[in-house]
Amino acid sequence: MAKKWGQYVRKWMTQKMDLPQDVMMDLPRITMIGHVHIYIENHRGLLAFSDGEVRLMIKGGQLLVKGKAFVIKTILPEEILLEGKIDQVIYINE
Amino acid sequence: MKNQWIHTFSGTVKVKLTGKGIERFLNQLTRSGVSIWNVKKHGSEAVTFYVNLQDVKKLRIPARDSNCKIRFLERAGGPFFLRKLWTNSGFLAGAFLFFALMMLLSNMVWGIEIKGASPATEHQIRKELDRMGIGVGKLQFSIDSVESIQKELTDKVGALTWIGVELKGTTYHFQAVEKSEPEKAEVIGPRNLVAKRKAAIVKIFVEKGEPVVEVNDYVMPGQLLVSGLYGKEDDLKVVAAEGEILGETWYSTKVELPLKSTFQVYNGNEKKKYSLMIAGKALPVWGFGKPDFSEYELEVTEQPVRFFNWELPVKVEKKTIREREQVTRIYSRKEAIESAKELARKDIKNYLPENAIIKGEKILHQSIENDKVKLTTHFTIIEDIAEGQPIIKETENDRRLKNDGNTTSEPN
Repeated sequence: MAKKWGQYVRKWMTQKMDLPQDVMMDLPRITMIGHVHIYIENHRGLLAFSDGEVRLMIKGGQLLVKGKAFVIKTILPEEILLEGKIDQVIYINE
Repeated sequence: MKNQWIHTFSGTVKVKLTGKGIERFLNQLTRSGVSIWNVKKHGSEAVTFYVNLQDVKKLRIPARDSNCKIRFLERAGGPFFLRKLWTNSGFLAGAFLFFALMMLLSNMVWGIEIKGASPATEHQIRKELDRMGIGVGKLQFSIDSVESIQKELTDKVGALTWIGVELKGTTYHFQAVEKSEPEKAEVIGPRNLVAKRKAAIVKIFVEKGEPVVEVNDYVMPGQLLVSGLYGKEDDLKVVAAEGEILGETWYSTKVELPLKSTFQVYNGNEKKKYSLMIAGKALPVWGFGKPDFSEYELEVTEQPVRFFNWELPVKVEKKTIREREQVTRIYSRKEAIESAKELARKDIKNYLPENAIIKGEKILHQSIENDKVKLTTHFTIIEDIAEGQPIIKETENDRRLKNDGNTTSEPN
């Protein structure tokens, strides 16, 4: 009950005060440069990594990036820069 | 994201990770603050990535917990490069040595060319140059400036009238001009010899012409001594009179000499300092510390360092510090008079031609006032008093008229 209340307040504040949602709601911010680079902030960890698929833990689910020839350019606790040919970015909600 | 350049300096390692649970391992690494980059998957159970050299130790703890195996594939960056450099230090030393040698050779004298001198003079110049320390293989820093070489050569080698010294690269070029000897006899027109100054004639030696005066005659300036006209009255010949008429002449000089005088002299103590001038800043190389001279004179010479044909913005500066001393000279009266006489003799010699002889001297007046010796000396000198005076061509009539009037023709 309390958690839902908190979320409700946050949502209301972001709408009313015009604040960026990724800061307030703890959502990932995903920046893509064409289909070459994808930059994901605020992830929660790497779940699976292969040439053609990267699975990332995010708040309230997973993020699946599909493509070819993936290379993780940088990985930090909350950020990841992925390089390769990106075909799809899929949200998987639990 | 950190700049990758910084990693390159501190050193990087390429790591190969094999086994299961690679993703977990990577998460653990990132959480413990290890920055990894260029993560690439090879097959299903192998991954390669790069880490910082400092972070290599941090790989150990997560590796112990997981089922992964770690292998290090490549080492790159600063420390590894330095190690490589150290193993190949021979190359570096060689390169350095090469430049040092090139620099040394560029600043050496590699040739001496002498032009315009006869073999004898050339030999003399070379000998003199050897004595001055200029020769093939000598460093240019140890050699004086071009101007002083020129001066010294002109002073020391008598056969030279002038010598041009030029330093082109590593070669000294000398352009010599020799005195042309023997001098061509001057073509003299008809002339008489007249007296330069008043004198009593001591000796007469006439080569050409007819003497009109005799020994012990007293002559006035401009008076005819040797006539260029001789022969019988109606058969006069005109020649250029030549000869030496020695006459006794008189001079008096006044000399003043203070009893006490101070001079600045170098006492021979000197100190040399060498420094490298780079972009206006001096870097001392040899000769440190301030000289403990109370009074000194500073001489600075600068020599640019060359590399092949180019002058580097580096100069070798040589400072010579010579100690100066003040010397006070105090004469006693007797000494003062003696040196005043000496001074008077020197003074008179400046006025006289080289072959003049001082026959006698007589002090006319001598006084010591205000710590000064005043001396008036009278000198008796024997010198050549003859001086040429051209005979202006006269017409036949003029000469006859003159000869009628006066048998010994008097010019002036």
